[in-house]
Amino acid sequence: MATRDPLDFDVGVEVDEEGTPSPSSISPPSSPLSYLDRDRHVAFFEMLYDLMPYHYQSQEINRLTLAFFTISGLHLLQALDRVDKDRVANWVLSFQALPRSRAELKNGQFYGFHGSRTSQFHPDENGVSVHNAGHLASTYCALAILKTVGFNLLTIDKESILISMRNLQQPDGSFMPVHVGAETDLRFVYCAAAICFMLEDWSGMDREKAKDYILNCQSYDGGFGLMPGLESHGGGTYCAVASLRLMGYIEDDLLSKNATSFIVNVPLLLDWCMQRQAIDGGFQGRANKYSDTCYAFWVGAVLKILGGYKLIDKIALRRFLLSCQSEFGGFSKYPRELPDLYHSYYGFTAFSLLEEPGLNPLCAELGMIDLAALGIL
Amino acid sequence: MESSEEDGGVPLSRMAEWRDVTPLRQDDGPNPVVPITYKEEFRETMDYFRAIYKADERSPRALRLTRRAIHLNPGNYTVWHFRRLVLEALNTDLDEELDFIQRIANSNSKNYQLWHHRRWVIERLGSNARSKELHLIKSILSLDAKNYHAWSHRQWVLQALGGWEDELDYCRQLLEQDIFNNSAWNQRYFVVTRSPFLGGLPAMRASEVRYSVEAIVVNPNNECPWRYLRGLYKDDIESLVNDREILSICLKPSQELRDAVVALWTSDTRPLDADLATAICDILEHVDSLRASYWIWRKNKLRIAA
Repeated sequence: MATRDPLDFDVGVEVDEEGTPSPSSISPPSSPLSYLDRDRHVAFFEMLYDLMPYHYQSQEINRLTLAFFTISGLHLLQALDRVDKDRVANWVLSFQALPRSRAELKNGQFYGFHGSRTSQFHPDENGVSVHNAGHLASTYCALAILKTVGFNLLTIDKESILISMRNLQQPDGSFMPVHVGAETDLRFVYCAAAICFMLEDWSGMDREKAKDYILNCQSYDGGFGLMPGLESHGGGTYCAVASLRLMGYIEDDLLSKNATSFIVNVPLLLDWCMQRQAIDGGFQGRANKYSDTCYAFWVGAVLKILGGYKLIDKIALRRFLLSCQSEFGGFSKYPRELPDLYHSYYGFTAFSLLEEPGLNPLCAELGMIDLAALGIL
Repeated sequence: MESSEEDGGVPLSRMAEWRDVTPLRQDDGPNPVVPITYKEEFRETMDYFRAIYKADERSPRALRLTRRAIHLNPGNYTVWHFRRLVLEALNTDLDEELDFIQRIANSNSKNYQLWHHRRWVIERLGSNARSKELHLIKSILSLDAKNYHAWSHRQWVLQALGGWEDELDYCRQLLEQDIFNNSAWNQRYFVVTRSPFLGGLPAMRASEVRYSVEAIVVNPNNECPWRYLRGLYKDDIESLVNDREILSICLKPSQELRDAVVALWTSDTRPLDADLATAICDILEHVDSLRASYWIWRKNKLRIAA
């Protein structure tokens, strides 16, 4: 399996040599269940929470992401009682890269959260934290997990995160995920927006510049690519629209408003989204590609944010998703393949959008439980 | 692929070269969540990597170690980052580095870190590397003509180093192989709008309209050329509506459309709505039943706007 952020969209995955066995080597599939097998999914996720098989070692750099999927997944399944909340909170907090002083916040490094222990080192004898590998996506996951387990985010050192985060924003408005250099694209604009939103503080980014970058990513066909000029893509479109919503540039339920001008071409965007539902009922990430479980969330969530989710064929979608439900628990990318953590999580979020009984409601723009709707906020 | 091909799979702890290094175990801390059952080779390689990384040793053996670690874990951005530091310190031949990346790409062509590393190398090699790079990307696209990373890298190379001259023709070739390839249509739009040799969208519009219409005639159920056509008139809907070629393709009824209209006439007791747009929504509600709710919603919007 290729390494995954939560936002390593299915631009494609290859199974590695020592990865999960190929579908042809498993026994012939039985016909799909006609219902969401919640108990089996809970058991599957509980198992992963306790111990992840070696197939996931190639994703260890994003361990916090794996934790996010697992914990938030259990929460979606109304099984958060399986999780030791204090233990999780303490564990997550231990990944924060902390500066020695406020002065260090301007040194260009990002004082967010590491994604894993693999390259997190204790400060040396002078208290200098070398090899700071704070990462935007890990920071998003960390905050999301803390929120999920009910930790009060106001008690963390948010100033370090927000001030140093500005070092990551580029002149064109996009974000780099780590200060040592990496690709910049809409995924990290989204992470930045989600971080500021969760910390209730927008000093971490220049919203106007980020908005401009997002607008430049809208393709001629109405969807959004991950970078300006790139092909419109379900994941890119989600990052664009969810970011604009989080930053306050688009209102809730746009489609029911009669405004005629929006900062993005909404009718074209809507038409593009609607066309992503394929004849098999599932959603594709790009035109003329196969339906894949996760796009039921990426594209479905965009429609939810716009107020257009009611327009899809929910029965057809449900049928497709059930065909990707694994007898081992979890969901696979395509029908009758083996499940993985990423597609399982987004399978649950897709069912939550469908308002499946037994699942908690979703906050579409954060990709996690709608805590306000649960009466927790 | 062997993860440690050069070392023949020998554990690092048994190699004389590494005798002076104390491997640094991962400090998982008390009560870790989602612990991973690492395989021994993986764990050991990363233990040695941590030691070298912490000591900041930028040596030839460190370079070899990053290679080993990357084979096992190509997603670890820390390892790639350190490899770049070592490459710089050793002033290594970057053309060889391209070969290394190419080998990793064979089974990891959809890995963000790999492509970023490739870009880093190309930035240092400059425009001399351009044609070889464009050629390499073509070979990756020949295995998967929709590889998003490859397209992203290709657009970067064109914008940073040039090489636009043959790009429109490359798009044409890809579309000949698969007219449904949306990545190729997107690249076509990219070239037509940004190439310094073509004069921009207004200059190219007429020929591109013709190209799209031809594609539509062959496969009217292909979403791509329809979107492309619409995109050619991005900020100028008036011209779109008045383009004769487009009018002819839209009003040319297919058998399916004729059948749908007949079905509506004969099965529906109320007379067919005189307004064309509303009529089209009615038809689509039937022939595109997956999106029936959407077409009903569109129809209602038309009524409100009227």
